[in-house]
Formats: sequence, structure tokens, C-alpha cells
Amino acid sequence: MLCAKNITKKFASNGSVVPVLKEVSVDIAEGEFVSIVGRSGSGKTTLLNILSTLVRADDGELYYQNNNLSTLSESHLNRLRQADFSVIFQFHHLLPYFTVLENTLLPFMRSLRSVNKEAVQKAHQCLDRVGLADKADRLPGNLSGGEQQRVAIARALVKSSKVLFADEPTGSLDKATGKQIMGLLSELHEEGLTVVMVTHEPAYAQLAERIVTIEDGLISSPADRHFFL
Amino acid sequence: MNILTIPLRNIRRRPSKTLLLLLVFSLGVMSIVALYQVSLVVGHSLEKKLTTFGANMIISPATEKLSVSYGGFHMGDMLVDVQSLPEERTIAAIRSIELKDRISAVAPKLVTMTKVNDTAVALVGVRWHDERGIKSYWAVRGEFPSAPDQILVGSKASAKLGLALDDKTIIVGQDFTVSGILHETGGDDDTVILMNIDTLQALLDRQDATSFIEVAALCSGCPIEDIVAQIRQQLPNAEVKALQNVVNQRMASVQFVQKLALSISLVILVTAASMVALSMLSAVNERKKDIGILRSLGYGKSQIFIIFCLEAGFVGVLSGVVGYLGGFGASFKALEFLSLSDGVSPVFSVTHLLLACAVFGFITIVAAVYPAWKGAGVEPSTALIAL
Ligand SMILES: Nc1ncnc2c1ncn2[C@@H]1O[C@H](COP(=O)(O)OP(=O)(O)O)[C@@H](O)[C@H]1O
Ligand SMILES: [Mg+2]
Repeated sequence: MLCAKNITKKFASNGSVVPVLKEVSVDIAEGEFVSIVGRSGSGKTTLLNILSTLVRADDGELYYQNNNLSTLSESHLNRLRQADFSVIFQFHHLLPYFTVLENTLLPFMRSLRSVNKEAVQKAHQCLDRVGLADKADRLPGNLSGGEQQRVAIARALVKSSKVLFADEPTGSLDKATGKQIMGLLSELHEEGLTVVMVTHEPAYAQLAERIVTIEDGLISSPADRHFFL
Repeated sequence: MNILTIPLRNIRRRPSKTLLLLLVFSLGVMSIVALYQVSLVVGHSLEKKLTTFGANMIISPATEKLSVSYGGFHMGDMLVDVQSLPEERTIAAIRSIELKDRISAVAPKLVTMTKVNDTAVALVGVRWHDERGIKSYWAVRGEFPSAPDQILVGSKASAKLGLALDDKTIIVGQDFTVSGILHETGGDDDTVILMNIDTLQALLDRQDATSFIEVAALCSGCPIEDIVAQIRQQLPNAEVKALQNVVNQRMASVQFVQKLALSISLVILVTAASMVALSMLSAVNERKKDIGILRSLGYGKSQIFIIFCLEAGFVGVLSGVVGYLGGFGASFKALEFLSLSDGVSPVFSVTHLLLACAVFGFITIVAAVYPAWKGAGVEPSTALIAL
């Protein structure tokens, strides 16, 4: 479903060019739950961002449903981000001056056309699903980190995303909340959502069907479930 | 909820900054509107004042000039059929044209040559009130004639004829008293004797006759050619001539006021627009993360661009309303301060209000183009990942 081939990414820092990803290839099947693990600074986030089209690779190809995304126009990519792909970051998912409900509807406010009733209804359902039905009218500032995370997940559900990218979704949460979020992700995966998650937590990585380890800019062991053991 | 919700919410999100920006821009708009209104009124009143320094149109009987020569011998030009214009009818006609509001003074004259103390001199009959309306620069020693048998003598004529103040003299068989001597004007008035036109008409037995009529017209807002054409239509038998150099000079003065107002407005506008640009630039920097979120949700660069432009545009339109109303009110105060409030006053117009909103909305949008472009260029990844 989502396939990266020989992805190369370099960053310039202090005048020297540092290769972060050296010809990395990953293949993610539809409905799969993949964890990306590796040391801090190993390039996990970079890989996730390239997969989710937020960063363009220097070299290599990215295929989604057999379309070469590397050659796709900006507007096609925007459509993909609006519909098929959802990204959950460690922080910053929500516009602080929009209510929880409005935040989940942001993907539908891109034009002069008003958000339709069905979308609003669906947003309520999805917020209910993540346990935030009673907080729909709150501003994100009044929510805990876990709740904000859940709003972002609800948003991914409202737009019926096919792939959910999560970059250390539990990184800023306490254990119990982290567990809740992971439970939610597992549930969604079981319902058919494709999940690609970067994580530091060995226990959470184990929830995935497959673990991809990045080391020195290379995928070291595509299926090493015992990396942390 | 649509794309407009985002800029509107942004505006509400930073009330103090928005208010400050609104204040600055509204003040700018206000000054411009006030300046515009004042310049219109000042221009108008200036022109009105300028008309008291002489006419800018002359209406005379149609004449035909014939050059007479015989056998190679030139005998000079000859005016064929010297006519006069009937005073009452002609003035009524002038006062009845469509642009009659633009006519500020009509001064009829009857001119004749005569001999006083055995010296040839021109006699000019005038209507004192109308004449002084276009000759505010006249100054006299003694007094302006108030009785029919009083005359005003030009300075050169007074020397040539040996006429002094309070002298009595006989003109065309009738007694007259010199009530005033005109100070030197540098013009034709210096060499003539001026008297009441009724008296002269009676004296010459040419009741209701005028040799020519001077007209002072206000030409801002409509070209003098229109006024001339309309008078011509009313008076097909008369010759109507605009004194183009006088007209042009006056328009230049009036336009100077307007040009001055325009250049000051431009400076204010550029300053206010820069403030908007600066504020938008800081808004873009503050909101890089928001931009990143929107971009990761499928918002294109053009949509980010539009959001920031609209945000500025809202401020512009709102400033247009506040500034126009404020400026309109301020123009009254300004005119009062400049003691110009009598006569003409600024006219409120909804069209102008809407125009102001459109113009200033557009200007703020233009001012926001660069910041918005910067915002559109924000990469979602760098905005969201860099902590
Ligand atoms: N935008 C960037 N500019 C320069 N260097 C970057 C940028 N993003 C990441 N890097 C560098 O690339 C390396 C990998 O970063 P990242 O993918 O964030 O690692 P991880 O998520 O595994 O901790 C790090 O050394 C980081 O400093
Ligand atoms: Mg990272």
C-alpha cells in the first residue's frame, strides 16, 4: 500500500552535509501496524515525515496505492494529506483558538464551502469514540496532553484516513494516558486502519505487527522483534 | 465554518494587537478621508476666492471684422455693425444654463468714448456690486460711487484729465462728481472713467445696452468648455470666450491643494500599509506551528496565502468603515479649525464609504502579500517538529 524505495535524505548542519537516511526501503501493507524504533537522532522522524509526504526525500521513490508520490503535484499531495493520511505529532496538533470540535473539522474548512452537517455529525461521533464527547466545545488549552492527542486521533477518524502516522504519540504523556492512547491505536488498527508509529517505548513497539529499526541511517533489522529484549 | 473562519478567529485571538493595528490603520484612513474632504472644500472655497480677482469668460456681441484695402492701400480694420447686447435678457440667459451653479459673478459693461476737459477718454458703465465682486483687488482713494452722478476715475485718467477727488466735471452734457480715484491696478481700469451703467445708458440713450459682459465661473469639477458651450447655446448671437490662461492658472492653484492632499495621503497610506505588513509578518512568525498543522491537514500553499491575506483584508475593510466615519467627522472639525466651515461642507456618501472599504481592504491585502507569501512557504515539517 505504502512503499518507500531507496529513500535518501541529507541535512546540512554547520556547513557539513549529514546523511540521515541512506537508501532506506520500507513496504507497508494495507491494514498493517508498523513500529519504527531506533536511537534518538537516528532518523525515525525524518523517515515518518517522508512517508507522510510532509518532507520530500532527496532521492528515492515513494509509492502509495501504486502511485509514485515523488512525481505527484503539490495539489495531489494536499488532497492525500486532507483525506488518506493523518499525522499525530508529539505536541502541536491543535489550533489553540478553535474548539475541540472545530479542530476535528479543520480538514473540511479548506474552501468557502461551509462544513456540511454530516461531517459535524461524524465529528461528534468520533469525539465520542475517543471519549471526548463532553469536551467538544472546549478549547485545547483546557485539555490534558492525552486528551489533545485523542482529538488528533478523532480528527483522523472524521476524515476517514487510511493511514495514520504517529510520531512518539505517547512521548509527552504519563504511563496511564499513554496506555490509553496505545489501546485506542490498537483498536483502530484492528478495525482496518494502517498505522505507522515511531516510538521509544519497547512495550508499545511490541503492539505492532512489525518493527522497523533504524540504525546509522539504514534499516538494520526489518523484523527484529527482540531488539529491546 | 469555512476558510473565512480561520482568519476571523485569528483576528479575535489577538484582540489587543488587532485593535492596535485597527487603530493605526483607521487613523490613517481617517486622515486621508479628512484630508480629501478638506481639500475638496478648500479647493472650492479657494476657487471662489480666486474668482473675485477677475472674470474668466467674456461675452460680447458677435462682430465681423473686415479688412479694407483698396488698390493695395490698406485702410485699416473696420468693425462691421457694432452691436450691443441687451443687458437684462443676456444676463437672464447666462443665469439659466444647466451649470448655473458654477457661475459665481456676472458683470455687464457699457463702454463708450467721450471727451472730458477736451481729452479723449473711455467711459465705462458698470454695476458696482457685480463689478466689485470680480475686482476685489480694487482700492480707491475717496469712496466708491454710491449716487448716479458720482464717478470713479482711474489713476492714469485722473492725471491725464486733471481730475482730483471731489472735482466736478461735465460728461456728455451732464454734471458729475469724482467720488473716488482708483489706485493703480496695472490694468485697463487705470485709464478710464467708471460710472453706474444705468446712468451711462440713459446718457447715451442706449437703454438696456451692454458692450460686453464678464463672467466668473468655477471650473473645478466641470471643464470651462462645458459652461462656454451652454452659454453659447443660450446666446447664439453672442461671442462667448473663455480666458484660458486665467482658467488654467486658477485650476492649477486648486489642483495644487488637491495634489498636496494626495501626496500626504500617499505617505500616510504607505506608513499604515507598512504597519500592516509588519504586523502580518510577526503574525506569520508566531503562527508557524498553526501553519504546519494546516499544511499537514491538506491545506495548500495558496490556501495559507489566502488566509493571511484575508486576515489583513478584514482589518482593512473594518478600518475603512471606522476611518471613513471618523474622517468624515474630523473633516468638519478641521474645516472649523481652518475657519472654512461656512458655505460648502463635506457630503456623506454611502458609495464613498463602500469605496473606502474596498480600497483600503485591497491595500491591506496588497500589504499582506509578502508576509502571506512567507507564511505559505513555511514547511509543515520544520514548523511542527522543531520544538
Ligand atoms: N530539518 C533539519 N535540519 C537539519 N538537520 C535535521 C533536520 N531534521 C533532522 N535533522 C537531523 O537529522 C537527524 C535525524 O533526526 P530525526 O529524524 O528527528 O531523528 P529521530 O526522530 O530518530 O530522533 C538528527 O541528527 C537531526 O539533527
Ligand atoms: Mg523524532
